[in-house]
Amino acid sequence: MAASAIVGENLEKYFPPALSGWRAWLHPVAKPTQCALAGVSFAVGSGEAVAIVGHNGAGKSTLLRILATLIVPTHGRATLGGFDVEREGGGARRQLGYHTGGDEGFYTRLTGQQNLEFFAAMNNLQGAEAQRRIAEVTECMGISGELDRQVRTLSTGMTHRLGLARALLHGPAVLLLDEPTRSLDPLAAADFRRLLKDDLVRRRGTTLLFASHTLSEVEEIADRVLLLDHGRLVACDSPARLRASTGAATLEGAIARLARTQAAVEATP
Amino acid sequence: MSALRKIAAFFWRDFAIARGYRGALVLEIVEALFGAATFFYLSRFVESPELERALPAGSNYFEFALVGFAFFDYLNVALGAFDSSIVEARQNRTLEALLVTQTPLAVILAGSAAYPFVALALRTCVYLGWGALFFGFAPRSANWPGAIVILAASILAFAGLGVLSASYQILFKRGNPAKWLVLGVSGLVGGMMYPVAVLPGPLRVVARLIPVTYSLEGMRAALLAGAGWGELWRSLAALMIFAVVLIPLSFAVFAWALRRTKVTGTLTHI
Repeated sequence: MAASAIVGENLEKYFPPALSGWRAWLHPVAKPTQCALAGVSFAVGSGEAVAIVGHNGAGKSTLLRILATLIVPTHGRATLGGFDVEREGGGARRQLGYHTGGDEGFYTRLTGQQNLEFFAAMNNLQGAEAQRRIAEVTECMGISGELDRQVRTLSTGMTHRLGLARALLHGPAVLLLDEPTRSLDPLAAADFRRLLKDDLVRRRGTTLLFASHTLSEVEEIADRVLLLDHGRLVACDSPARLRASTGAATLEGAIARLARTQAAVEATP
Repeated sequence: MSALRKIAAFFWRDFAIARGYRGALVLEIVEALFGAATFFYLSRFVESPELERALPAGSNYFEFALVGFAFFDYLNVALGAFDSSIVEARQNRTLEALLVTQTPLAVILAGSAAYPFVALALRTCVYLGWGALFFGFAPRSANWPGAIVILAASILAFAGLGVLSASYQILFKRGNPAKWLVLGVSGLVGGMMYPVAVLPGPLRVVARLIPVTYSLEGMRAALLAGAGWGELWRSLAALMIFAVVLIPLSFAVFAWALRRTKVTGTLTHI
């Protein structure tokens, strides 16, 4: 395997419980007791596409948000492009593009072009270089003809593509996506998957770590699958080997068996 | 890329958004006329020997109140600009997108306040302009460089309070009692509508503990009495002390608050 672009070492994340009323004032300093990640260790090679799967609340988004420097782990350590995401957040952010699968996160009164110019500036791109990168990524996303429209007039799919274009503006080595095709219609989702796998991962060598509930998407894009269950890492292997090791005919079947086995292990006194 | 270029990018972003609401811009200019007119007609009924003694030499109550109201707004904007930028970024979900860019937090905060302060500077000019055009406001002997320096020092001092207010906002999401307390106390004792000298002793002491008092005194002295640097230095020094203490303190508090939201996972919660 190539050098690791992303490494997680014994990552643990606990959140404080939700407090209401006057006690909400104590929330910022409340003791974190609710486990979201429980000692997750993994590595993603450079140029590899890895999917994170698991049921709702398994810890997928928490893991991605730690890597994106948006939250800090309670214990353990993660590096992205060699930079510790907690202590060297600036270095890590130079390496990463982050996009969640929604159509939000834009200044809707501004055009797509104005939005991308603003975020290009935030990523240290300016002038002709910024314009060149905007032209390049929007061409790649198939939205170059829509850039003069205000974002509020764009369809969900278009805004979604604009979001990915934004994440790619500064040419990140690592792309973190949270449910990347969540709000896309089936045809747009298929286009999007091809774009991710063929253009970004295969042709450009971008490292891709994405969370998804769509297992056909996972099989199509991912070289390996990280299966999380209640914050624990249950399995980390290629879809074919997961099927083979569990004797299941489909990835869905393999994941279901692995999750059941994990539940049985946890139930054992 | 320099921080200044990024701050400029924030400014143009906000300018482009504001340009989309041209009607509001026109109404603001008209509203300034109503404000100036209100002070003019109010001033015709406000007369007392005590007030006369407390006003800057050569000025009247209309000029006093017009300058007080126009420049008190800087405190208002400072306390609102930073935390409303966080509220808006949370609501339109741009906060996450901003925080994963290569722009430091301090630049994001400074950038978010750039347009509101520039817009306020223009609004101040409109206010004073209406006063001069229709109601006889005539700062003929004004020390303009002195006024600009006092204004810059005031913005720095107020920005510290604004970032503290944003720290509260980022931690607790809604409401901001500290902000309303600062605005309420400053409105009461800061000398916006009446001179601090007319207040009872204990409130005069409180007035000396807040930056807006020095800001309005300095601004009136520079604009209405044409005070020189020798007379302005006291206000200027006080404002700089507030700035030197408040700015590093507020950024440290904000960094702590941001860190806590990264621990609690509530950074983008609305």
